[in-house]
Amino acid sequence: MDPFLTSRIVTDVLSGLTNGVTYGLVALSLVLIWRSTGVLNFAQGAMPMFATYLGFAFLSYHFGYWACVVACVIAGLLLGGLTERFLVRGLYGKPEINPIVVMVGFLIVLEAVAAAIWSSTPRSLPSPFSAIHWQLAGKPFALSPFTVYEIATALVVMALVAALFRFTKLGLQLRASALAPEVSRLLGVRVGRLLTLGWMLSTAVGVITAILVSANFFSGLTPTVMDGIFAYGFIAAAIGGLESPVGAIVAGVLLGVVNQFVTDFVNQNAVIIIALGILVVSLMVRPSGVFTKSSQRRV
Amino acid sequence: MKLIAVRRRVPIAIAIAVAVTIIALVAASTTREGIALSIAFDLAVACGIAMSVPGFKADHPVVSRAALTLLALDVAIFLTFFFSSSTNFNLATGAAMSIVLLGLSFLTGASGQISLGNGAFMGVGAFAMAIWANHHATTPIVLTLLIAVACGALVGLLLGLPATRLRGPYLAGMTLAFAVAFTFILSSFSSWTGGDSGLQLPTAATAPRWLDGFFHAGTPPLTTTTLYITDVAIIVAGVAFFFMANLFASRTGRSMRLIRDNDVAAELVGVSLPRTRVVAFIVSSAYAALGGALLTLIDNSVSPPTYSFALSVTILSLIVIGGIGTISGALIGGVIYAFSTNVISWITTQTGLNPQGNLASQLNGIIFGGLLILTMLFAPFGITGAARQLWHRLRARFPR
Amino acid sequence: MITIEDLTVSFGAVQALRNVSFVAETGKITAVLGANGAGKTTLLRTISGLKEPKTGTIRLDDQSLVHKRTEDIARLGIGHVPEGRGVIGEFTVEENLRLGAMMARVNLLQGLQEQYELFPVLGERRKQHAAKLSGGERQMLAMARALIAKPSVLLLDEPSLGLAPLVTAQLMHTIQSLCESSDLTVILVEQNATSALRIAHHAVVLHVGKVVANDTAANVSANDNLRQYYLGLVE
Repeated sequence: MDPFLTSRIVTDVLSGLTNGVTYGLVALSLVLIWRSTGVLNFAQGAMPMFATYLGFAFLSYHFGYWACVVACVIAGLLLGGLTERFLVRGLYGKPEINPIVVMVGFLIVLEAVAAAIWSSTPRSLPSPFSAIHWQLAGKPFALSPFTVYEIATALVVMALVAALFRFTKLGLQLRASALAPEVSRLLGVRVGRLLTLGWMLSTAVGVITAILVSANFFSGLTPTVMDGIFAYGFIAAAIGGLESPVGAIVAGVLLGVVNQFVTDFVNQNAVIIIALGILVVSLMVRPSGVFTKSSQRRV
Repeated sequence: MKLIAVRRRVPIAIAIAVAVTIIALVAASTTREGIALSIAFDLAVACGIAMSVPGFKADHPVVSRAALTLLALDVAIFLTFFFSSSTNFNLATGAAMSIVLLGLSFLTGASGQISLGNGAFMGVGAFAMAIWANHHATTPIVLTLLIAVACGALVGLLLGLPATRLRGPYLAGMTLAFAVAFTFILSSFSSWTGGDSGLQLPTAATAPRWLDGFFHAGTPPLTTTTLYITDVAIIVAGVAFFFMANLFASRTGRSMRLIRDNDVAAELVGVSLPRTRVVAFIVSSAYAALGGALLTLIDNSVSPPTYSFALSVTILSLIVIGGIGTISGALIGGVIYAFSTNVISWITTQTGLNPQGNLASQLNGIIFGGLLILTMLFAPFGITGAARQLWHRLRARFPR
Repeated sequence: MITIEDLTVSFGAVQALRNVSFVAETGKITAVLGANGAGKTTLLRTISGLKEPKTGTIRLDDQSLVHKRTEDIARLGIGHVPEGRGVIGEFTVEENLRLGAMMARVNLLQGLQEQYELFPVLGERRKQHAAKLSGGERQMLAMARALIAKPSVLLLDEPSLGLAPLVTAQLMHTIQSLCESSDLTVILVEQNATSALRIAHHAVVLHVGKVVANDTAANVSANDNLRQYYLGLVE
């Protein structure tokens, strides 16, 4: 076969892509909540982690992988909805640090409770596909059946979210309540319910990320498995501009590729440092994000 | 007219009175402990008198704050002579932490922003202190502390530059990324930072000769050192609080509070938004670095795992519980930190939990995280805010 | 029919509306007039449930609207075109209309067709973002968006604000013909008293939160005192 496909550059790009889609998903879930409720959800990694633990608790009852995935998503939807109703609802319109602080607190509690129930020892999740890389002409190729599954799932989720927002009545209402809550209410849109729905949806997107991440990375599922992914997801969302879902996804994927190159050509430690540097520089150049059109500020 | 003139003379009169009493006591007493005790007592009385003069606080705000600081330092240091070594150690860490909390309280209170990376800034100070001490062992403590502060301020400036244009959530996320990155930064420069094992200070900080009499030569050296370090930490914290109290009240502090409450209005009246925001961020980083450097001094060593993201979250919890945006909140948070380990292990034994179990090891996170949420939801200004509210209610019910 | 009795609304210590009572009859246009700060917008916001009244009742036919949620009030058939029009600039004209039709059980395509017939310019610009429309077009869009849900009551907050006199006249004409062709109850809040009185059947004049006149539009028009002191109309 073509040696090009197993070359260093292609390998880096493809492995970067595999990580990048997970950053993109986290960034997307952050943007969904930020746009609809003006809250930067610092528990956006921890909530899906918790739901994933809950869902995969069914494994011990001999339910298969897919049944557990469904259970995880349902747990995520519930957790997201309950969080919005009981934790976040009272914080809209408060100073912007209040929801930040509450969600950081929630992050800590969720991680601690998860570690208390399930311990901090990594737990390996079953995988429906082999994680062994394909070989091309005796050389390892960057992709495995699992990474293809990972990338495909991420793309499908992104496409579904886009379709939901673009083409459905629900999406129209979700967008309207994010853009103009009061006007939407005057038109009979039940904004309160839609905000809950937005959180449910966003947590579900996060859950799918958490399932992919904890099966793919050698670490397995741990209470802190999403911490790093969350940091990269936030960096991607901030570079893309918290307002733009497309920007968040693109920035996430690019960040994944850049990270892979840094890992390969510099070293593992430098990855987050360089990512942080990119964030600082991009925020200085375009404070409202690289992919947003206007820099209007809501007064 | 006459009354004002009298008030102005009060501090001078007090100063003279204190000086005279001290000289008299020095002449009278033969033991150093006796002198120490009388100085402590005298100082407390003098400060108490100064602050109880009506109108003094309004006419001489700076002197009045200095008097309050002196009084607090005096009482605290006096007490450390009676505490056990472990209590003093806890107090010292609490004092170092309260400085860090003060910085974060200022950032939020003054500019409405929040940092999730103050644990990392603390680490900057802690490592700067250890690295400098390892290369220049002879530098006096105060100078080394200042160098650490300068390092913190510099890193704060670097990260704070984009912060000038950003609103709260961006800064919070960026500082979070810094906190996560910090441990990796440490391992990237392992030749300087000592890698995973961290650094030891070349020599433990011991009391200089001329203080020998106060830090008993008879007691075990460890106890003496702890006592000395505790008092140093308390004094440094006192100075830090004094500066911050003045900064809060200054023009800069006022313009910062305006930004927090209404940034558009602040710009309209000519407050420079970017500059004020970045200054607030730098001050908060510098204070965090000072606290970290003190902690290195107290522990006599520094190790990377201390400065993980978890520390930043602990800092946030403490100041929120104490009362974010207030000075007393930092003090309360520091005290809570000093004794939190004891309290949590007390809870563990009282509830009969297995100390090695999962739940016991996570109790810290559950309690602090839970308190963080509950405080923010039900008493957003923490203990300080709740106390103030209670005070106002009592005043309303029992008017003078 | 909207019946308002003894309505008092306050913002903290400030009373925005004091013991306001009047009836807006079915199939009629009731103009609510008054200077800036008279409480006109607050009145509409209270009817729509965006503001809780302190005391008093608001009824749609026999149904009380007080303590109901805004979205539920809207679903009862009360269309509110807010001050500043409230069109969603990031949405296209058609998306704005689709949003308006969402809660009502009406045929979307038919509804769109009707609105495009009523406001032909909207049909021409259906794919354009609402932010790109002119002031008059936005006002039409806001009205079309309320009308597409087939409301029984239409609350219009300063529809003429910022519009050229000719456009205002056209708009008032549209409101008038809408009212005549159906059983629509219109409450029209206006600072521009002349054009509102021309089409209104009934007029309520507010002054610092109090009703100073509640009469037929013709009588209010003829009352020189009202014209001079409260409506700022001097010959």
